[in-house]
Amino acid sequence: MALENAARLMSRVRTRDAAAFESLYDAYHRLVYGVAFRIVGDVAVAEDVTQTVFLKLWSAPERFDGGNFGGWIARVARNQALDVVRRKSHSETELSEAMPDSDLLEERVFSEIDAAQVRRAIAQLPAEQREPIELGFFGGITHAEIARRTGIPLGTIKTRIRTGLGKLRSALEGMVAV
Amino acid sequence: MNGHDAMLDDVAVYALGALPPEQARAVSEHLASCKECAAEYRRLKPAVDAVAYSAEACPDAATGAVVPSPRLKTRIMDEVRRSAPARLSNVGEMRAVRPIVWPAYAVAAACLAVALITTAFNISLNEAVRSSKAQIAQLGSQAKILHREVAVQSTELADLTSTDSQHYAVEDGEVVRHGNRLYIAMDSMHMPPRGKVYQAWIMRSGASRMTPSVTFMPDRTGIAVIHVPVQASRVVELAVSMEPEGGSKQPTSKPTFIVKLT
Repeated sequence: MALENAARLMSRVRTRDAAAFESLYDAYHRLVYGVAFRIVGDVAVAEDVTQTVFLKLWSAPERFDGGNFGGWIARVARNQALDVVRRKSHSETELSEAMPDSDLLEERVFSEIDAAQVRRAIAQLPAEQREPIELGFFGGITHAEIARRTGIPLGTIKTRIRTGLGKLRSALEGMVAV
Repeated sequence: MNGHDAMLDDVAVYALGALPPEQARAVSEHLASCKECAAEYRRLKPAVDAVAYSAEACPDAATGAVVPSPRLKTRIMDEVRRSAPARLSNVGEMRAVRPIVWPAYAVAAACLAVALITTAFNISLNEAVRSSKAQIAQLGSQAKILHREVAVQSTELADLTSTDSQHYAVEDGEVVRHGNRLYIAMDSMHMPPRGKVYQAWIMRSGASRMTPSVTFMPDRTGIAVIHVPVQASRVVELAVSMEPEGGSKQPTSKPTFIVKLT
């Protein structure tokens, strides 16, 4: 869904327009569910996370304050899913902080996203860069924990994350609104 | 690598959401005062959003990808519509307006207004046609979703009526196991009070306690046919209880029923 449409629908959701909410659900539920399932690994729990995310969107639409709606709702889904994992887990693993729902900095935004194209771009990253990025995002663990698990020095992990994200950014250049 | 290069690496890890809380706060404060790091953050953030998009569930269940149940939308929309304000739809509900007698000199102005309104109406009509076309496209998309839902329901109907299925009677319904699929089929379930839902609980073979499963609501007539997403052959006991919306990790009320699947 084009960014402009999502923003327009969100302004209608703020006026309690259920039809606008339904259109947003149709456009973004697979993204929310996909992120949740990748993190929790369970169909029922992923559906519960999806339900929680969308009902929060309905009850507090003002939490979205503009920008890339897809990126925003994906972060909300990630935080919600990691919260579920944290509550269930009592391990000593060092967990990262929840990502901010909104950014103070102006954010460059995606006009259209094609998930298959994104998957191809990520698959083309070297494994040494792809793995820490996926572990950090979907695993919800810190860079130090990634370094501990992989046995790679912390500084190297940080550089690989930055290099990998930079490559991904370049590969997706055509998908970003200029 | 100098100290600021190291900070740029930290900015990348911050954008990914993989810093511990204390360091994340430090980077966040630094971004407010360092243009170079702020620019790097803006450059990398869309790449992180792209990582999220890579997990988007495939819309085509035929590929074997996991997709959310169509019933999830029903559950969410039921809740949304319950809390949405009613819209004024009946003309009879509108406040009566006192009739106005127009003075003669206003008639000419009214004629001009009618002409303008007619023009505007034509423009509005064109917009309505465009809007209708968009709605037709949207209905086509909804039809595809309904088609998939019908396919799912056909499978369920076949499972529920198959002579090979095992039926376990419970109050107001039954639990049905067909192969590796498990269903709760209720025919006269009470609607839970506002803020509450029903939740299924399952006991797997060899487990010492029940684990939470799907939450659900009956329809207005008390009917609920729920597919429990579990490998049915491994389930030895199933229960249903009333829980707060969103479900619980532990049962918080006396079960509506418990049934052994042996």
